[in-house]
Amino acid sequence: MLIKLGWKNIVKRPLSSGLSMVLLSSSLMIILLSILIKDQLEDRFFENANKVDLVVGAKGSRLQLVLCNVFHVDKPTGNINIKDLEFLSNHPFVKSAIPISLGDSYKTFRIVGTKISFVKDLYKSSLIKGKLFEKSLEVVAGAGVAKKLNLKIGDTFFGSHGIEESLHNHDHFEYKIVGILNFSGDVIDNLLITPLESVWDVHHDEKQKGSFDLRTKSDEKHHHHIDEHTNKKEITSILINYKSGRGKFTIPSIVNKKDKLIAAEPAIEIQQLLDLVQPIIKVINILAFFILGLAIFSIIITLLNSMKDRYYEIAMMRVAGASQSTILITILIEGFIISLIGALIGFILSHLFMSLIALYLSNNFHYELTGFYFATTEIWVILFTIVIGMISAIFPAISAYKIDISRNLKSNI
Amino acid sequence: MIVTKNLSIKYGNNVIRFPDINLEQGNQLLITGKSGSGKTSFLNLLGGLVNPSCGTIEINNKEIGLLSKKKLDSFRGQNIGFVFQTPHFIKSLDVQDNLFLNQFLVGCQDKKYIEELLIKVNLKAKRYSNINYLSEGEKQRVSIIRALVNRPKIVLADEPTSALDDESCNSVIELLKSLSKETNSTLVIVTHDHRLKSRFKKHILLNVN
Repeated sequence: MLIKLGWKNIVKRPLSSGLSMVLLSSSLMIILLSILIKDQLEDRFFENANKVDLVVGAKGSRLQLVLCNVFHVDKPTGNINIKDLEFLSNHPFVKSAIPISLGDSYKTFRIVGTKISFVKDLYKSSLIKGKLFEKSLEVVAGAGVAKKLNLKIGDTFFGSHGIEESLHNHDHFEYKIVGILNFSGDVIDNLLITPLESVWDVHHDEKQKGSFDLRTKSDEKHHHHIDEHTNKKEITSILINYKSGRGKFTIPSIVNKKDKLIAAEPAIEIQQLLDLVQPIIKVINILAFFILGLAIFSIIITLLNSMKDRYYEIAMMRVAGASQSTILITILIEGFIISLIGALIGFILSHLFMSLIALYLSNNFHYELTGFYFATTEIWVILFTIVIGMISAIFPAISAYKIDISRNLKSNI
Repeated sequence: MIVTKNLSIKYGNNVIRFPDINLEQGNQLLITGKSGSGKTSFLNLLGGLVNPSCGTIEINNKEIGLLSKKKLDSFRGQNIGFVFQTPHFIKSLDVQDNLFLNQFLVGCQDKKYIEELLIKVNLKAKRYSNINYLSEGEKQRVSIIRALVNRPKIVLADEPTSALDDESCNSVIELLKSLSKETNSTLVIVTHDHRLKSRFKKHILLNVN
């Protein structure tokens, strides 16, 4: 009955109760959304980052090296000669050293030239259809690419230069899909994987035109010449996993001593990147708590206002035998209902928005997040919001508790 | 049933003294007096809504001044029904729920009795109506049966008729008298409405002192 009374009283004042709920739910939505995004991004980032112990590439930004070669989002840093890296593959502390060569894409999805171990050992992906690539120009497609571009075994396509939408097509060399991978949730889902030789063949013909070759014309000729003679094979980076913990202390310093090379640890770079993002998340959270403050204020005012109209009603209830604590509970129930509904709406909205953001990210950045990810911290935040809502009802409730019956019966006559 | 002794109440420097009364179960008493004579205060004292400055009130051999706040609240809910000059209700609830709330607050549920009472005042058809859509006469009838939903031993009415025309006045007073007789509850009415004087055998006049 008291719940019914509370509900009816809320429904009777739809605007002010609605305002409280909207404020409460929007603050909760922002808080939850920032938790959801942060959690998922961190999960995704570290999940991918931890697959690779060390990236070695041409001198440049370490972060760029990691973003480009592990997450496949940034532009390549430059090229290195595969010969310069031989010492790494043979080093006793190195378990695996997988070369990758980047630079081309097909409809914004990256073409990665690499070895079969990239698929089998590093990402431990299995085929859902077809076979792994065996020779140049054969391609294995990640599950995400295959789904979005509707690729089938036997489909052929031309790669375009660069990782943005086609700048320049390599229309002499036709790639052919020979296999499609299972969905894994890793970056590999959005890659087109091909042997290193494909990339070399394609670019050999193109006479090394391209963004990562900033050489003058005469230089180019000269270079091309040498290329043919020494069969110089270039790659973008090499992904290393250590055999033992000792690698961590020796390998990076060996690499960094070399003139052309730089080594970057994905886990460290990502941590630094997240540290940069942290203040932004903090600001967003401060904003959310500010709105939460407004919500509390709004609940107090909503209830106090409704209390003003209801002093007589409350006095009537007291006359009819309601104790002070019954009145207190009645008002607290109203606060509870408002905050419960606000919290539920906020919860639903946050996941709805998360789904929209996930859709956007997936369409524009091939980055897979989901609206159906639920964090345990969410429960605490929601409970916290409901408790806050109830606490803000305490003040009006106490003012109702203290109502003097006889005076309020008279004042309204 | 109701016994008061040496009751008085203080408003600032004013002290209002009340005559002692002694009512049996089922008695009906009219108290009249000019405004300022303390009619409403007297009724509030009898209902335990305010505490006397001195004197005692015994209801059913229980001295209500000795009850704790909480006990007094539930004692009032169970034993005393109130009717006021202007009938006020919980606006967000319909007719039936307003009546039911009064039962709920004393921890009893008797929807059948509510229905019986509604039939007696001819308002069964309006039990799901919004309370604000009732006419003044209808509202006063609902407020009278609201006072009776818990089968109280005492019904206290404060100016129940002064806002009504002669015809409604008659019907409301008849209803109060007949319903309290039927339920054998003690009825105390305070009013300045002279139309009621002839209707009651017991009558006390309060003077401004």
